[in-house]
Amino acid sequence: MTPTDISLDDFQKFQEYFYRKTGMRFEESKRYFVDKRLLERMKATDSACFRSYFTMLRFETAGTEMQHLINLMTVNETYFFREEYQFEALVNSIMPEIVARKKHDGPIRIWILPSSSGEEAYSVAMCLLERWPGIKDWDVEIISSDIDTNILTLAERGQYSPRSVQHVPEAYMRKYFRKCEQGFQIADSLRHAVDFTRVNLQDAGDVRPYRNFDVIFCRNLLIYFDDQSRKQAAETFFDALRPGGFILLGHSESMSRMSALFKIRKFPEAIVYQRPGGGWE
Amino acid sequence: MALVKNPHPPSRHDTGRSELRDYNGLINELIAADPTVRRWAARDLGVYAEAADDLLALIKVETDRSVREVALSSLTCIGTETAVAGLVGCLRSEAADLRNEAIEAMKSLPQAVAPIMRALLHDPDPDVRILAINILESLRHPEVESWLLAVIDTEPVLNVCGTAVDLLTEVGTAAAREPLRRLQERFADEPYIQFATQLALKRLESA
Amino acid sequence: MKHILIIDDAATVRMYHRSILESAGYTVDEAVNGMEALEKALTASYDLYLIDVNMPKLDGYAFVSRLRSQEELAQSPAVMISTEAEASDQTKAFEAGANAYLVKPTRPEKLLAYVRVLLGETLQ
Repeated sequence: MTPTDISLDDFQKFQEYFYRKTGMRFEESKRYFVDKRLLERMKATDSACFRSYFTMLRFETAGTEMQHLINLMTVNETYFFREEYQFEALVNSIMPEIVARKKHDGPIRIWILPSSSGEEAYSVAMCLLERWPGIKDWDVEIISSDIDTNILTLAERGQYSPRSVQHVPEAYMRKYFRKCEQGFQIADSLRHAVDFTRVNLQDAGDVRPYRNFDVIFCRNLLIYFDDQSRKQAAETFFDALRPGGFILLGHSESMSRMSALFKIRKFPEAIVYQRPGGGWE
Repeated sequence: MALVKNPHPPSRHDTGRSELRDYNGLINELIAADPTVRRWAARDLGVYAEAADDLLALIKVETDRSVREVALSSLTCIGTETAVAGLVGCLRSEAADLRNEAIEAMKSLPQAVAPIMRALLHDPDPDVRILAINILESLRHPEVESWLLAVIDTEPVLNVCGTAVDLLTEVGTAAAREPLRRLQERFADEPYIQFATQLALKRLESA
Repeated sequence: MKHILIIDDAATVRMYHRSILESAGYTVDEAVNGMEALEKALTASYDLYLIDVNMPKLDGYAFVSRLRSQEELAQSPAVMISTEAEASDQTKAFEAGANAYLVKPTRPEKLLAYVRVLLGETLQ
């Protein structure tokens, strides 16, 4: 018999567990949203009751059920200018701080992962070109990485559906996109401005050469990792950054569930994490 | 000035090092003056099971958090009996950060710690018993609940019982109800125990 | 209305302290470890911090140290709560920048007395 509802006690038990693991808190006003998804997963896993589902969730070594659940609980569509407030933080707060202490000893380096089909990297590129006055005076290098070579190919091709570009300002659409069979083709000038590379973040050999970055965007990836892998990813990013470098996570992610190595900075637009050092203590 | 591409983007084949880092070289670097050198050595030693003792020695004296965190990650990767025994030793440390980091590492090694849990739950130090219950949170073992019920039936120290009740609120079954009620009677004058057992019993109503 | 941040990795303890403090008319936020507490303190202003010592990621002492060195955070009174009753632990707490030290488990009357005094409220 498939369960059709979740008791308040079970909801609270789940709520506490999920908050502890991910930092995401669902208030009781969100019960309908949460219960529906829990019941969906219980059905998908043939769980006879909440208790057996919860036990499985807590102890499944591969963590795949937790991934499914997180996927359901968070909005995961990728599109241009997603979580735009972080790009605002980049151009209004982060880049000015970086150039204030930077010598002209090479470009400002930004690493963006996962690249997925490139929306995030191209969004950063457009923001820097259009909204950051400093682009006149400084070189910026953008590298965007993913574990999946197929998606990297898509990113390099730069073709997008109307849905994906719905938040792109009209002026940018005119300047950087043209219509194509799939929908919209991004301009060569942007395609050639970003390096797409294959990286498995959990492979030490892959990530070792990634150093001296000023900014890292790693949004909505680590939330799918288990506790130990998240911790190690945070440690990898620590050494991928220059002292004083910044890292931005997804809006429902927090370093508090990963690592205490980073300083927490609050800019008007966003909370951002910073590697200590670099003269900014 | 503009968006630029590096003619040589990062590649796994280009590490700027002419040879693989050898074990002895890495061990020596654990005592380098530069924390970055220590940290990279600690990281690279995660594939050498024999490095457990040296990493444990490091974390006991290391003052740089970034080095200590990476060393603990490496110990977790190593995950041998030696590594786990060393982590147990860290539970007794005066340093709160080391104790708590050791718990985290042990939580990621459920299979390796399972054999020693019973002993830890009976450790003469009540603070170690509390930390042991913290580790149980992520342990998949058929006896977890029965261990917790044994704690609340026989443990003399209030805070150890309190920690067990907190975990039972999440993992307890109907079997926990009577022991929880007995605990309530045992510590009738303790407001925290009354609160915690009430909460646990309520959560177990539908169990 | 005075606003208090409860920092403890144990859900039951957070709920217990919340119930005591809310009954006394305070508003409460929670954090499970020192890092989350720092994030919350950056986005809201707290009149008092109630801090467990043993927490993952960033323990109580480390939280208080960072709190006291980040001027943009409200430098409100910090009460450490621990299972340990050694004098050396109390010294450590005060050296880190805490204002008071309580031993677990707390009793409502004592907790509220400490809170009221630290908030400069007259005792009933």
